[in-house]
Amino acid sequence: MPSPISAERFAILVEQAGLKLTPEQFEELRQAHQFVERMQRSVRRPRDRAAEPAHIFVHPRA
Amino acid sequence: MDPTQLTIAEASRAVADGSLSPVALAEGYLDRIAALDGELHSYVLVLRDEALAAARELAAGRSRGALHGIPIGLKDIYKTRGIRTTAGSRRYLDHVPEEDAETWTKLRDAGTVLLGKQETHEFAIGGPDFTLPFEPAHNPWNTAHYPAGSSSGSAVAVAAGLCAAAMGSDTGGSIRGPAAYCGIVGLKPTYGRVSRRGVFPLSYTLDHCGPLTRTVEDCAIMMQALAGYDPADPGSAEVPVPDYRAALSTRLDGVRIGVIRHFHERDAVADFGSSSAPTPTYIAAFDAACRTLESLGARISDLQLSPLIDYVDANRLIMISEAYALHEKDFRERPQDFGHHMFARIGLGAFLSAADYVEATRQRRELCVEFARAIDGLDLVVCANSTGPAPPIDALPTFGTVERASYTGPFNLTGSPALSVPIGFEDRLPLAFQIVGKPFDEAGVMRVGHAFEQATDFHRHRPAIADSLA
Repeated sequence: MPSPISAERFAILVEQAGLKLTPEQFEELRQAHQFVERMQRSVRRPRDRAAEPAHIFVHPRA
Repeated sequence: MDPTQLTIAEASRAVADGSLSPVALAEGYLDRIAALDGELHSYVLVLRDEALAAARELAAGRSRGALHGIPIGLKDIYKTRGIRTTAGSRRYLDHVPEEDAETWTKLRDAGTVLLGKQETHEFAIGGPDFTLPFEPAHNPWNTAHYPAGSSSGSAVAVAAGLCAAAMGSDTGGSIRGPAAYCGIVGLKPTYGRVSRRGVFPLSYTLDHCGPLTRTVEDCAIMMQALAGYDPADPGSAEVPVPDYRAALSTRLDGVRIGVIRHFHERDAVADFGSSSAPTPTYIAAFDAACRTLESLGARISDLQLSPLIDYVDANRLIMISEAYALHEKDFRERPQDFGHHMFARIGLGAFLSAADYVEATRQRRELCVEFARAIDGLDLVVCANSTGPAPPIDALPTFGTVERASYTGPFNLTGSPALSVPIGFEDRLPLAFQIVGKPFDEAGVMRVGHAFEQATDFHRHRPAIADSLA
């Protein structure tokens, strides 16, 4: 189990997001930030630069 | 015979030959709701007068087909004109839409009778949450247990005999999970097959609408009315709709089925930890189900894909990102309106970046290509669903939605049609697996599900509460 993000660093992320959290919400989301980090690691891998996203722009019908 | 014990196929025949009136059928379900739903909490709004008026009109009119007079329910994220639609949220407690969901329009035109709106997790993600105005639905097999979500009310109502069929939505498994825990059939159709217009979104590129029913044949009847192109849904696909019921069969000779075992036998514990371990009873039930398919003539082979976590994390990252974008303004300006689980689960989206989202969608394409190639030499695949019985409803972790293995999310990512079918019981609670097909092959998926169902009797078992008034 990785250590949770520090309270100081998480406070910066919360402020950047424009959220106003209660102390309980702050601590709960801070502890859960490990899942965000896992997902971020999981989708970052070596890829060809030309590898496109699943959904690309298509012209809507009139 | 209590008409609420009939499947849609049976009730439809009785209505057609005049031995059963749509009014008697609607009354039967409404009486059951009045008697039983105080314990189950599957409905948030019962439309007794409206349902009986609709049934009387249908009884006096010409037949509209197999769904003529069939009573159904809608998850309370389906918009209904002039009828409150809350999405399970305080934010929309008094919300009365001015339009109908396209799916409800189709079902109404096909002759169904709307009994009411059914309990949902808040915005189809935040539940079970006892801090919200509506009590979460309880599992009819054991009311101390969880029915899964987010289409919880819909699955509970079908399993308990409080409607003949219901509509759910599925972004990571919200049709198939409740179908599994409640011992019924649930279909997540192909992305684009069934319109999402007029249904509260959770995640635009992962949301699917689909039916929950007691049998696969009933699912086919519902899909016949639901499937089809909707030009007002940007994700809708213009693909011909086959005769689903005609495709059902009791034999599977020559059908090539790939079995994804490593998701539950290896990856779940390796990547998500011991809390995601399948139970021995589940593993045995899954293997027995595969042998049953083989006995029906199917050719079974194991299928190897990327690890489960690659699919699951991409699905979850996309879902949380899209849902957070949808609710960001309210998260900033009126956080007190959200229930605890919704705020916590989707609040994680505040800490994901645009680059994270794009990377997840690039991974999505890679995995979609992988799955398409893997299934190319096959007709369809089978995969685990929830790998054990329903847990107690008061013992669910807030972040179970990101913490634990999911066997359903991969097929939201690929957009594949996926059907949950009962395969057994553990501790008197149902178990299920998934049958997953190629894009737009709902007919093939239901064919296998129906054949399996006819060879087994799991779908005939009903919770005691379902028979308590019979």
